[in-house]
Amino acid sequence: MSETLNTQKPRIDGALKLSGGADYTADINLDGQLYGYPVGSAIASGELEGLELEEALGMPGVVDIFHHDNFDRTLKHSPNSFAEKNTVSEPRLPFEDTTIHYHGQYIALVVADTFEHARAAAQKVKGKYRANDQVISQFDELDADNVAGLPGVLQEGDGQSRGEADTAFDAAEVTLDHHYSIATETHAAMELHASTATWSGDHLTVYESTQGVVFQRHALSHVFSMPPEQINVISHFIGSGFGGKLFMWPHAIMTAVASRRLKRPVKTVVPRQSVFTSAGSRPRSIQRVRLGARADGTLTSIRHDGSNETAFVGMHNDTVISATPSMYACENVSVTNRVGEVNHGMPCPMRAPGEAPGLFALETAMDELAWQLEMDPVELRKKNFAERDPASDLPWSSNHLIECWDNAAKRFGWENRTAEIGAMREGDEIIGYGMASQSWEAMRLQCSARVTFLSDGRLQVSCGTQDIGTGTYTIVAQTASELSGVPIEDIDVRLGDSSLPSGPLSGGSFATATVLPAVKAALDAATQALIDKVTQDGQAFSDVDSGSIELSDRALTYGDRSIPVTTLLEELGIGQVTAEASAEPGDEQSEYSFRSFGAVFVEVRWDPGISRLKVERIVSTIDIGRAINPMTARNQVEGGLVMGLGMALFEQTEYDKSGYLYNANLADYIVPVHADIPPIDVELLDYPDYHLNAFGARGVGEIGLTGIAAAISNAVYHATGKRIRDLPISIERLLMAN
Amino acid sequence: MADATLDATVGHVDPDDTSSLQTIELTVNGQTHTLTLEPNVVLLDALRERLNLTGAKKGCDHGQCGACTVVIDGRAMNSCLLLAALAEGQDITTIEGLADEDGTLHPIQQAFLEHDAYQCGYCTAGQMMMATSILNDKDIAKDPASIKEAMSGNICRCGAYKNILDAVQSAHRTIEGA
Repeated sequence: MSETLNTQKPRIDGALKLSGGADYTADINLDGQLYGYPVGSAIASGELEGLELEEALGMPGVVDIFHHDNFDRTLKHSPNSFAEKNTVSEPRLPFEDTTIHYHGQYIALVVADTFEHARAAAQKVKGKYRANDQVISQFDELDADNVAGLPGVLQEGDGQSRGEADTAFDAAEVTLDHHYSIATETHAAMELHASTATWSGDHLTVYESTQGVVFQRHALSHVFSMPPEQINVISHFIGSGFGGKLFMWPHAIMTAVASRRLKRPVKTVVPRQSVFTSAGSRPRSIQRVRLGARADGTLTSIRHDGSNETAFVGMHNDTVISATPSMYACENVSVTNRVGEVNHGMPCPMRAPGEAPGLFALETAMDELAWQLEMDPVELRKKNFAERDPASDLPWSSNHLIECWDNAAKRFGWENRTAEIGAMREGDEIIGYGMASQSWEAMRLQCSARVTFLSDGRLQVSCGTQDIGTGTYTIVAQTASELSGVPIEDIDVRLGDSSLPSGPLSGGSFATATVLPAVKAALDAATQALIDKVTQDGQAFSDVDSGSIELSDRALTYGDRSIPVTTLLEELGIGQVTAEASAEPGDEQSEYSFRSFGAVFVEVRWDPGISRLKVERIVSTIDIGRAINPMTARNQVEGGLVMGLGMALFEQTEYDKSGYLYNANLADYIVPVHADIPPIDVELLDYPDYHLNAFGARGVGEIGLTGIAAAISNAVYHATGKRIRDLPISIERLLMAN
Repeated sequence: MADATLDATVGHVDPDDTSSLQTIELTVNGQTHTLTLEPNVVLLDALRERLNLTGAKKGCDHGQCGACTVVIDGRAMNSCLLLAALAEGQDITTIEGLADEDGTLHPIQQAFLEHDAYQCGYCTAGQMMMATSILNDKDIAKDPASIKEAMSGNICRCGAYKNILDAVQSAHRTIEGA
């Protein structure tokens, strides 16, 4: 067992975060900076016929107002390509045309000398609109002709079908056919989106709250027709993003344009209301699940059809069916997804995109099937355990789902469950037990990093990725410490800067599996660079075969000879040795299927006398391969479970029929708070997945949020006999259900 | 992070328009600052944009999230809901003033570090300022349910609530045992 990996370590950035010293974007105040404040459209669908600006322009401190009529016409669209790393959240440029596509769409940016002046003037900017009679929504038009009976346009490439799902369904001994839905959700990261832009000659520096400094740099490069080398995007600390900050939003472009025009730094902190209307959401989705099974529980047909909203300003396919083909052994599977345009703001990935809504539907359906079959829900799942990935027909790199089910069931006390509705009681409360499987695909991407041995004994590790709160700073330091012998407190980790070697987005749970191999490659390269120097004539290891020298305990060693790196640098008369290297996935990607699994068990309490529903406790067992830092990894899973509790019971971004988003604040958009949180018991299994990378880590950010909503809905059914297939399970919905 | 200057009439105020400006003194973390500002400047923005004390965060600007929590005369307050001028003459403590002058962490900071009671860190200052106020409040019981109820104005979207509760209870034990 190593000393620093798979060990609970306090965060290396903890002291900064706990003292107020961590520099989040809005904390950066530049000399002479101006303040931007956006103005959003009051309508959701129509045309902007003009703006009343006179009063605002005459207000104290106002420097300029940017809008359709004076905006920079030289700007270009980013190609919006993930492969080219220039994806943007909203492809439309700010103020590009006068069509209003959603409530809150930016119609102006006021720039003033103080925040107060900018805000006051923004409130005086009035749009003159020609509003459409009714909001346009393809999503609300059910298409009777399509097989799924779902709205929207069928997306190509989703069909990972196998066998004959329809035929098998028709022939099945037991069948189930239900619709499920989830409401639009908003990421609501605590940190408001923010951007500060400053130009120095033809060089642009952007301080941005982003999960992808490299992506934003490339996107800005296209928008401003500038070489990427002239743009730097900095994001040292991010008040998390949950997917909402993966890709650039229009406020960043508006701010950079204003800064260029006014030749001053401009800082725009997006107000909370605009974050709701104009900076992303998990789209509302409707799903239909059809299951066919034999009387013994063997699944014979799975048909899962989904449909999600997107905006008129861009396409977002939420792929709610993504996990379904891999979840269970079943010979006949058919999945499709549709997307329909609506006059709402642009959706984007939100933590566990696809899997979180998709597994709500599938895992609720599995529970319903278990009741129909009069089978234990755990036994039904075990009956259909997939020994290899049935979607790709590849072996799993590592799969311990059965142990997850057994381990979590035992710790939860599942054997105490009575298979009868409402039969478990304590005082005035009815107790419900529910469970579900959890899953998230494990990905790894290409990544570069740089490692530098410094003459003062420190080791610097740099990578153009970010730490959004997941603990990336800390696990990079742990890894470098483990491999070099340099104590963790002497590892200097640099992230969140697009001028560093290209690193991944902080998203998709792939950062850990992607970054750590690059750190190792860069350390190996820097070590080799040092060895090359010390094996030259007259140097400490000139008599030694360079291939036999190793880095160990912060020294180069050969046999009994061990010389500290600091001594070697001193003897060489140099201050540092540095190297950059890349690492990327290889043949294993076509040899194995990589997916993490888990199991979550929930107890709910329903008090019918006072109509109170609460989650009493949550138990989850997760197999994520190896946790580099079990303390931060467990925190991630617990956080996902908390967000899933919100998804199940509270969260709902609400639009009225005119498209007006009317709960665009943190009092009316309800998220879990301290008082909602039950005891949470998470166990991480420890089965390193060395097929994915040398560290055995598969990533951990998303999986906690999968399955939990189904486990809660299943527990609610066990307690109340009411099957709520539409999230959130609000008290109103529960009381009105039959 | 730059040190806060004692005289922070920084250049964010239009020098040509002095009609509504007022000069106030704010005592923050034991230091008195003279500020010239308009009457509608809220305390949070005065701390962050004028005094460069950016530890208190803006999460909603409407008193709905708790990220801006500071302690004023011993009581936790949402600094986004208080005009700066109204805090004149009061003793304001922000996260920057929580540790000892020699850098020794306050028990709540130490407990947050040890219990990993955060993820992104953005709500953390507010959580800790609220926690210190609660731990000093004899009227609030220190059992988990009471602490959770008292802390429920401080949202942690990362969902580190379990560890925050553990940290607050741990800090309580440390302070009581001292």
